[in-house]
Amino acid sequence: MTRRLAGSLLLLTALTAAGCGGGAAEESSSSKELEVLYKVEPTWPHLEKMLNDAKKQYESSHPGVTIKLTPVQGNNEAYYTKLALLNRSADSAPDIYYHDTFQVNADVAAGKLAPLDEFLTKWPDWETQFPDSVKQAAKGADGKIYGVPISTDTRGLWYHKDVFAKAGLPVPWEPKTWDDVLNAARTIKQKVPDAVPFSMYSTKVHGEAATMQGFEMLLYGTPGGTLYDDASQKWIAGGKNFTDALTFINTIYREELGPKQADAHNAKLADKVNNEWFPAGKIGISLDGAWTPAAWKETSTKPWPEWKDKVGWTAMPTQNGEEPGRVSMSGGWVMAMSSYTKLKQEAFDFITVAMNKENAMTYSVSTGDLAVRKDVAADPKYTADNPSVKFFTDLAEVTHYRPAYEAYPKVSAQIQEAMEAVTTGKQTPEEATAAYAKALPGAVGGPDKVVAK
Amino acid sequence: MTVATAPSPAVTGTPPGGPSRRRVLRWLLPLGPALILLALFMAGPILWSVYIAFTNETLTGSASVNSQFVGFDNFARLFDDPNFINSFLLTFVFVIGSAVIGQNTLGLIIALLMRGRGRVTRSVVNGVVIAAWVMPEIVAAACWFSFLAEEGTLNTVLGIEQEWLYTAPMFAVILANVWRGTAFSMLVYSAALSEVPKDLVEAAAVDGAGPGKRLLHITLPLIRRSIMSNLMLITLQTLASFGLIYALTGGGPGTASQTTPLYMYEQAFRYFEIGYGSAIALVLLVIGALFSLIYLRLIKVEDA
Repeated sequence: MTRRLAGSLLLLTALTAAGCGGGAAEESSSSKELEVLYKVEPTWPHLEKMLNDAKKQYESSHPGVTIKLTPVQGNNEAYYTKLALLNRSADSAPDIYYHDTFQVNADVAAGKLAPLDEFLTKWPDWETQFPDSVKQAAKGADGKIYGVPISTDTRGLWYHKDVFAKAGLPVPWEPKTWDDVLNAARTIKQKVPDAVPFSMYSTKVHGEAATMQGFEMLLYGTPGGTLYDDASQKWIAGGKNFTDALTFINTIYREELGPKQADAHNAKLADKVNNEWFPAGKIGISLDGAWTPAAWKETSTKPWPEWKDKVGWTAMPTQNGEEPGRVSMSGGWVMAMSSYTKLKQEAFDFITVAMNKENAMTYSVSTGDLAVRKDVAADPKYTADNPSVKFFTDLAEVTHYRPAYEAYPKVSAQIQEAMEAVTTGKQTPEEATAAYAKALPGAVGGPDKVVAK
Repeated sequence: MTVATAPSPAVTGTPPGGPSRRRVLRWLLPLGPALILLALFMAGPILWSVYIAFTNETLTGSASVNSQFVGFDNFARLFDDPNFINSFLLTFVFVIGSAVIGQNTLGLIIALLMRGRGRVTRSVVNGVVIAAWVMPEIVAAACWFSFLAEEGTLNTVLGIEQEWLYTAPMFAVILANVWRGTAFSMLVYSAALSEVPKDLVEAAAVDGAGPGKRLLHITLPLIRRSIMSNLMLITLQTLASFGLIYALTGGGPGTASQTTPLYMYEQAFRYFEIGYGSAIALVLLVIGALFSLIYLRLIKVEDA
């Protein structure tokens, strides 16, 4: 009798367990549903608007398939973590997702992304509207394409013309060397004490933005400066270029030319710079991306239409004015498809709808990111409200791309460690470079993948 | 249940092993479902995290699907990692400062002062202290952030400009944790103090012992077991404290307030090194276990 009771107990547990598991399986088989993962922030609702439009268009032309939009609230770093966790299992992985290009190769290596080549050949827009340089954005190490680019970008210096005038600095401003930039910041500090002379991202809380907008904009402007040696296919362990880039950051913070420490470590630094300090005339120079004016447009949460008169922009110079004199970094985001999705054709169709001319235009105009489609770039509506677009599009001539290999995110994390140590003054640039050189082999998978310089 | 316990003629004739087996079943059966659930949802994840602490598992990249056993590599790396050593020292400072000294002493003082006060005083003080305790961690952090921020209450009241969270981050998080956690110690000590016999204290007073001596020689020895249990509980709580520090300083600036749980989170979920993060978690678990052992030992020594 006891045996029977134990047996029925076991059966009950098994039934409960089966009941728990059953729900998910039922849901996915009952109707065709595609889950789209994307990010949204109170000051950055643009992608959500565009995807809502795309959802309506897609569902009306594809009866029987519903699009489930799953937003991730938070900044890029929060988004990377959420996506990585959801991608751990085929059951929770979204079918389609907004993906930062530097993360693509890590996911390709894990087999989590579906190659799109066979679908792309049947999509006429891919040939006619996407320039070759843009197509490379999400190319895997195996040469296949793993995402349709949604945006690209370049980076440069934004400066406040009124602050410059008060400081007696020339407008338009065209710095030729790093020293020109530092000297302008020093002048602002002296003449306009209530303004932050120079702002850049240099702490871990800003994640990849610190690495790319901050550090790499400096490193790639030093003579021969790069993170990865293409010839030997090895990562470069520090060296003089690395120390020089950190020295620039060190100068900014030791001479108090940058934001206060509290702001430098504030995750909302970009909102402070663009939504508070620029409109109030409390910032001199900001090293940031081409999308910066999106914060001031009518589509923003705090429009500032006067920016067109008050704000100037110029290229970040190379260290000592070396050819080509200007430097920029480019990255961007893609729409990618999960290798786990069962509805590959349907998922790809959604990507084509999301990236048709109309939706791509909505995205580019509201985010300020540079357009990827030729027809959008050529449309007068795209440039109408943003006089800085042409300048930042032309920076593509001198731009660099990150070595976005599988190990890159880990290398980037080490760079952020070094930057933050210099920002707080915990380490000198030399010490931080040495720490980076020591940590690099662990990040890239062994000392044989590293070369000293 | 009645089926299992009712004596039935069919089972009375079982071999000698029978009755004891039946006794085991009698308590095992009702516990069964709970045990299965615990094994599934508690032991399962714990064992899994112990396992991946010995692998190079990551959240993205090829090691996320094809991780390898790396033996003690993670632990070797851990003890050679200046950031971990730093986090460990900060955790120690945090536990001693906010739990052992802050919450413990303040809780005891409040409980002592409240003894024999009027009902109104008691309920007002109780209410205020416990309100800080029932507040969700993240809300408490938001309160302290707005209090200590550059344009915050403290600076406005004092009329100074000071970036507290950046110039004194450890002080800020310790203060916030003392503020939030004192209620627990206060409640434990209030209960313990009410058990101290009044006549004993009065007798000591008649014999001429002042308040200081009465506390030292009568009250504290009588509540020593509560002190030890309280210390053990708040030490373990504080050791694992994450949300408050994360929301207040994020472990920064730099690594100035990055205690071990924050370092673990950063490694596992920011840099996706879940294997390494689990190794850190395992070390933290061992440290917590050591602390409890020490306290348990002390209680035993007291009893002997």
